[in-house]
Amino acid sequence: MSIWKFLFNLQERRNWYLRKMPAGPLRDYYESEFPLPDTEWSQADYLALDFETTGLDKHKDEILSIGYAPIRGRSLRLGESDHYLARPVSAIPESSAVIHGILDDTASGAQPLEEALPRLLKALESKILLAHHAAVEYEFLSNACRKIYGYPFIGPVVDTLALEVRIFRAKDEPIRSGDLRLDKARSRYNLPRYPAHNALIDAIAAGELFLAQAAYRKRSRPLLLKDMTVIT
Amino acid sequence: MDIELLEIRDFLAAHHPFDQLPGTALSELPGMLQVRYFRRDSEVSDAGNLENQLYIIRTGAVEVFNADNELLARLGEGDVFGYRASHRPNQIEHRVSALEDTLVYQLAAIDIDKLCEKHTQFAYFFGTVGGDRLRDAISQAAQVAHTQVNLITTPVRDLIKREPITIEPSASIHETAAKMAQERVSSILVIAQGQLAGIVTDRDLRNRVVAEALDVNLPITEIMTFNPTALDENAFAFQAQMHMARHNIHHLPIVRENGVAGMLTATDLTKHQTTSVVYLVSDIYKQRKIERMREVTAKIPDLLVNMAAADATADSVGHVITSITDAITTRLLQLAEIELGPPPVPYVWVAAGSQARNEQTAKSDQDNCMVIDDSYDPKEHGDYFRALAKYVCDGLDSCGYIYCPGEMMAITDRWRQPLKSWKEYFDNWIGQPEPMSLMLTCVFFDMRRVYGDRNLFRELRDHMLEQTRGNRIFLAFMAGNALSHQPPIGFFRNFVLIKGGEHNQTFDLKHNGIVPIVDLARVYSLASGSEAVNTLDRLDVVATGGEVTESGARDLQDALEFICYLRIQHQARQIRNGEAPDNFMSPDALSHFERNHLKDAFSVVRTMQNVLGQRYKM
Repeated sequence: MSIWKFLFNLQERRNWYLRKMPAGPLRDYYESEFPLPDTEWSQADYLALDFETTGLDKHKDEILSIGYAPIRGRSLRLGESDHYLARPVSAIPESSAVIHGILDDTASGAQPLEEALPRLLKALESKILLAHHAAVEYEFLSNACRKIYGYPFIGPVVDTLALEVRIFRAKDEPIRSGDLRLDKARSRYNLPRYPAHNALIDAIAAGELFLAQAAYRKRSRPLLLKDMTVIT
Repeated sequence: MDIELLEIRDFLAAHHPFDQLPGTALSELPGMLQVRYFRRDSEVSDAGNLENQLYIIRTGAVEVFNADNELLARLGEGDVFGYRASHRPNQIEHRVSALEDTLVYQLAAIDIDKLCEKHTQFAYFFGTVGGDRLRDAISQAAQVAHTQVNLITTPVRDLIKREPITIEPSASIHETAAKMAQERVSSILVIAQGQLAGIVTDRDLRNRVVAEALDVNLPITEIMTFNPTALDENAFAFQAQMHMARHNIHHLPIVRENGVAGMLTATDLTKHQTTSVVYLVSDIYKQRKIERMREVTAKIPDLLVNMAAADATADSVGHVITSITDAITTRLLQLAEIELGPPPVPYVWVAAGSQARNEQTAKSDQDNCMVIDDSYDPKEHGDYFRALAKYVCDGLDSCGYIYCPGEMMAITDRWRQPLKSWKEYFDNWIGQPEPMSLMLTCVFFDMRRVYGDRNLFRELRDHMLEQTRGNRIFLAFMAGNALSHQPPIGFFRNFVLIKGGEHNQTFDLKHNGIVPIVDLARVYSLASGSEAVNTLDRLDVVATGGEVTESGARDLQDALEFICYLRIQHQARQIRNGEAPDNFMSPDALSHFERNHLKDAFSVVRTMQNVLGQRYKM
């Protein structure tokens, strides 16, 4: 956590950036109401999100596809889910094509990220970004915003992987290799296995995992957003 | 909706009732869903409002309760609850509790209604429970695509090729024969005032005219068969086949509402199915040697496979296979009488058990007995009837109807007795019932005459029924016997499987599925003193007789048909794979749909067993 983030909370940083940010999709997002840390968890809205990327280097690699589904009132809404491709600037490396199955031919027909991003930001308005190992989505999104709008993305984030780590620690159980992978984590909650991988099904998978984790949290007091989020 | 939700679409497509939806509707379905999660031992948080949504279990298991906290159902993956999915008639699902960590898909009531409007088969699922849903299962199972001409679903009228060849009753024998020659037919219908009056075949001309040197100028009414058995044109080809087999005829007049539609011949049918039963049965009656009959019975497995492929109902399969057994038995008795001479005193050959009930399948034992006239003198006539019984039982055995393990056969001295001894047997069984002996002798409470003296049979059956009708003490014992075989389903609708041994992880479709229904129907039928023997017939009779509610009887009929249907498909599969057919089924061999409906069927049986138990205070 940078000193910047340590010294100023999310609302303060948001207000800081808003002072100078020009009008546009990112500013619209910033102006939407951010869920507050003391909200009871089920009163907040979430957007379970997943990206397929050309690699894991947030500076060099690019977003290839975006999949998401909102969670509202303890229920994941498949009807409001969405999935679309973004056209990368450079060629897709073979090593990543093997994983996500998106080839240059497919991607070349897609809209450029400049067009895809506003759609995503609109969906994120007033919601908490939710992902498994959310740092990837958060940083890729933030970098994309910097590149296109000149400002970073900020917002409350729930990371199902981090939640899983907390659960292991609370039980004082050792974490073995692979324990935190999405599929493995889901199997601990009797969630179905989805053999295929694309941004949407992985986003849904993370969203379902979150519902399960929330259902399993101890209820000595109301479960608040700040108990679940990594960035508030 | 997005193609990316294939995972969810495919899951729905594999589960009833969503498997009833066409591809386009299925693809739109995931986009209507909400996903929710309930941890083990938690409540589905919509108590009292479950009717607003349909819940589809993706993973996990739940228990459904009514407002009085009575358990209505335990459900697992692929099962549904909530809106219009009630698991018991007139019971509102009030509360649902997760037994395992459970992921459910929710579909709004309004979306279900829209789907129901557009898709009838889908809507059918959301009708009433139990019997109706089971009937839905049977009709759905019968829709499986098949290419060969289906005698089960083809109406007779489609097989009739030409207008009927008819003649007036006033015509002479000569005129009739001339018309048959001119039209090149082997039979002709005699029509009076537009209605069927009689039939004349080539054989009649040979046997009744030429052989008797009859005057050919006499009217045809002298030799025609009056009021021949006929079938409606809307009957299915299969029923015609059955009809011919049962009556051993080859020409069947087909009638319609306002007259005669045509003539159906055995050839018309056999063209459609080579291993047809008409062919088999008529073949049996031509045989003079047991070895040749064995060749005929060797075709029974093929017949079963064909009928299974044509999706014959279990009821018709039972009648067909049994009609072959009847034909073999009759032929053996005819041959025995030729060899041993005519019987010195009247007798009747009686089938017991599944043969009596017309419910045999590929694997059948012998169950039979002989009732002899009371003028029977053991010293004088004993040898004759012993030899007769031995001839037939040995013949049946070599034709593949293996000796009955419990020796319920006429070859056993005890089951080859004069009428008065038989009456004493029944007096004993009914008057002083014992659980053990009833278990062994209950096959004799299913009796049907196969060959011989009708009056002997009728007298014994009436004697038996007079004593069983309303006899609560005897019926209580029979009820106890009927409850000794339980459907293989646990309290929570899980299958109870055989553990270990040759049939590990299977259940016995016969003893735990079919026998309990047969036993129930027998008790109802004996209680009402009905002559019906076939289980479906018995349930038909008692449905209106008050022994059991009409809906209960119908549900049992559907359950029996469905279980038997699965057994036939199972045995046909084994025969095709070169295995010996048996009754042991693994739940893994069933589709999810079949599993669910088999559970419905077993639940019906268990409910009716409980009702019977209460009625006789077990």
